[in-house]
Amino acid sequence: MTFFKVALSNLKRNRVRTLLTGLSLAVSAATLTVVLALDRGYSSAVTDDLVNKTGIHLYITKEGCPIEAASVIAQGGLSPLYVEEDILARLATVADLEAILPFKLFAVTTDDGSRTDIFMGVTDAILSMKPDWRFAAGGWLKEDDSVVIGADMAQIEFLQVGQRMYNENFDREFTVTGILERTYSQDDGTFFVPLATAQAMVQREGKLSAVGLKLADISRMDLVQNQLRALMPADYFVLGSKELSEGILQFFGATRAIMIVMVFVAFIISVFGIINTMLMAVLERRREIAYLKCVGAGRLDLVRLITLETTSIALAGSAAGALLGMVLSPVAGNLLRTFLVAYVPSGPIARPEPMIALMAFILCSIVGLACSLYPALRAARIVPMEVLRND
Amino acid sequence: MTEHIIELHDVSKNYTRGVETVHALQEVTLNVSKGDFIAVVGHSGSGKTTMMNIMGCLDHPSSGSVILQGRPIEQASESALTRMRRSAIGFVFQQFFLVPTLTVLENVTLPALFSGNHTNGRSRDLLEMVGLGKRLNHLPGQLSGGEMQRAAIARALVNSPPLVLADEPTGNLDSRNADMIMELFEQLNRDGVTIVLVTHNADIVKHCERTVHIEDGRISQ
Ligand SMILES: Nc1ncnc2c1ncn2[C@@H]1O[C@H](COP(=O)(O)OP(=O)(O)OP(=O)(O)O)[C@@H](O)[C@H]1O
Ligand SMILES: [Mg+2]
Repeated sequence: MTFFKVALSNLKRNRVRTLLTGLSLAVSAATLTVVLALDRGYSSAVTDDLVNKTGIHLYITKEGCPIEAASVIAQGGLSPLYVEEDILARLATVADLEAILPFKLFAVTTDDGSRTDIFMGVTDAILSMKPDWRFAAGGWLKEDDSVVIGADMAQIEFLQVGQRMYNENFDREFTVTGILERTYSQDDGTFFVPLATAQAMVQREGKLSAVGLKLADISRMDLVQNQLRALMPADYFVLGSKELSEGILQFFGATRAIMIVMVFVAFIISVFGIINTMLMAVLERRREIAYLKCVGAGRLDLVRLITLETTSIALAGSAAGALLGMVLSPVAGNLLRTFLVAYVPSGPIARPEPMIALMAFILCSIVGLACSLYPALRAARIVPMEVLRND
Repeated sequence: MTEHIIELHDVSKNYTRGVETVHALQEVTLNVSKGDFIAVVGHSGSGKTTMMNIMGCLDHPSSGSVILQGRPIEQASESALTRMRRSAIGFVFQQFFLVPTLTVLENVTLPALFSGNHTNGRSRDLLEMVGLGKRLNHLPGQLSGGEMQRAAIARALVNSPPLVLADEPTGNLDSRNADMIMELFEQLNRDGVTIVLVTHNADIVKHCERTVHIEDGRISQ
């Protein structure tokens, strides 16, 4: 016979109550795990996309604010500010640049609003910027009316290499020269066309959304950045891809704030729930507790007994919740993908690392334990005389 | 000189109920010697339970002193009182206060757990003695009233206290079960346990060797 045995038997007394208490902590732990996994996952997915995976190290834009720039560069957002093409001549003089990619990016929503097509006008330089690209069929752009399409677009439009593709928005016909293998990024839903064609489609000849630059030696980043700044006209900006991804992550800030509030609310609810239930569980058997005091239970014994009860629920609930969170976070990640207003990264959004689950487990267990203190102290304060209360 | 297990000296206890003060006990002096078997009798409201609580160190007197096994309890800290109660006194109440989710054996072992003893050999022996040897793993809800009280008595004895205080232990039982309980107390007393019990029942008083009458908070003889 042990204290643990006694504590467990008390938990069995009202199974539904015990289950609900554990469940409320499990929900907290699961929410915490999911949110941490999404938070960590989204940041690293965006950083992966924009810093680690693309070969683009620097952007030349006319937008000074990284958030604005991110919306233009990552999603084809509209900006009245354009980079002039003649800037390319100046860039050509910089020795440290391995590749220069001028591009024109724009998004067109179909009339019925069901879909947004992203067009990206590019030069051959993109091939050295995207070393991961593989063609599922066909090859690179050949003519002015050529188009290379992402895997999703090929599937949605039932397109094959060599087929003609008509776009009603621009009243233009294209020939599919290549279909990309799936990259799980925005590229899957993008139409890549020659730069000049893209410029003509939106009547912006000679104008660019931005210029992407790949450095020969990334360790010279600061140097090159300064050199470029000196070279560019005053209203041009040189942004590192890191600043850009940070810009995107700020988009995510609002979503993140909502998630944190969710966790917080889940916690508050379960904290009050647990304190309330444990307090009820104590007060409801005050005579029994008083009798335990008669037969020699000290204050410490009762604190031990009540905290042991709560801790058992807390540990079980938190562990179940953390595991559930691990299982659910990829699901939540995919859900978030469809809701994201900001940049949708290619990698998995949720990264349910064991460390995150462990953290959620420990935190929730501590919260559970803390919740047991007040009811435990109330139990300890019950005097043996209570045994004689007539009610 | 006979050894006193507990002594009450001029013990009074007042309760305030609103503006009115109830003198539940008035200058009671009582010595309980080792091996005594005392019945406390008196009308309802005469102060029997009040006296038992003070004897059991569950309540402090308003004035006067209580000496348990030679130690005055006034100055004792709460944890010291807990230890004294644990080792010296076994309580039996009219309600049995068995923990409904623990088996009979576990209920009986409970006081031992609080004094740091996790074994249940003695609990088994005691349950055997009270005639519940075959009910060890039953839950209290599966026992009759008499059986529950016998389990409660076994529990009161598990730490081998020299003194057992029983407040109307047969109050909830029929006469056959009450007799069984009284025979148990007699046997315990023969084995050297000091017993003080409160009762209304004249039949029960016959089992006891000494009777204390309480009337309006005073011992009348
Ligand atoms: N906590 C309390 N507050 C106020 N008055 C109390 C309290 N406890 C007992 N009393 C009063 O003290 C007096 C003695 O009560 P006590 O319980 O000792 O009587 P008793 O002899 O045990 O009665 P019974 O045979 O009905 O159990 C009664 O008048 C009772 O109303
Ligand atoms: Mg009474």
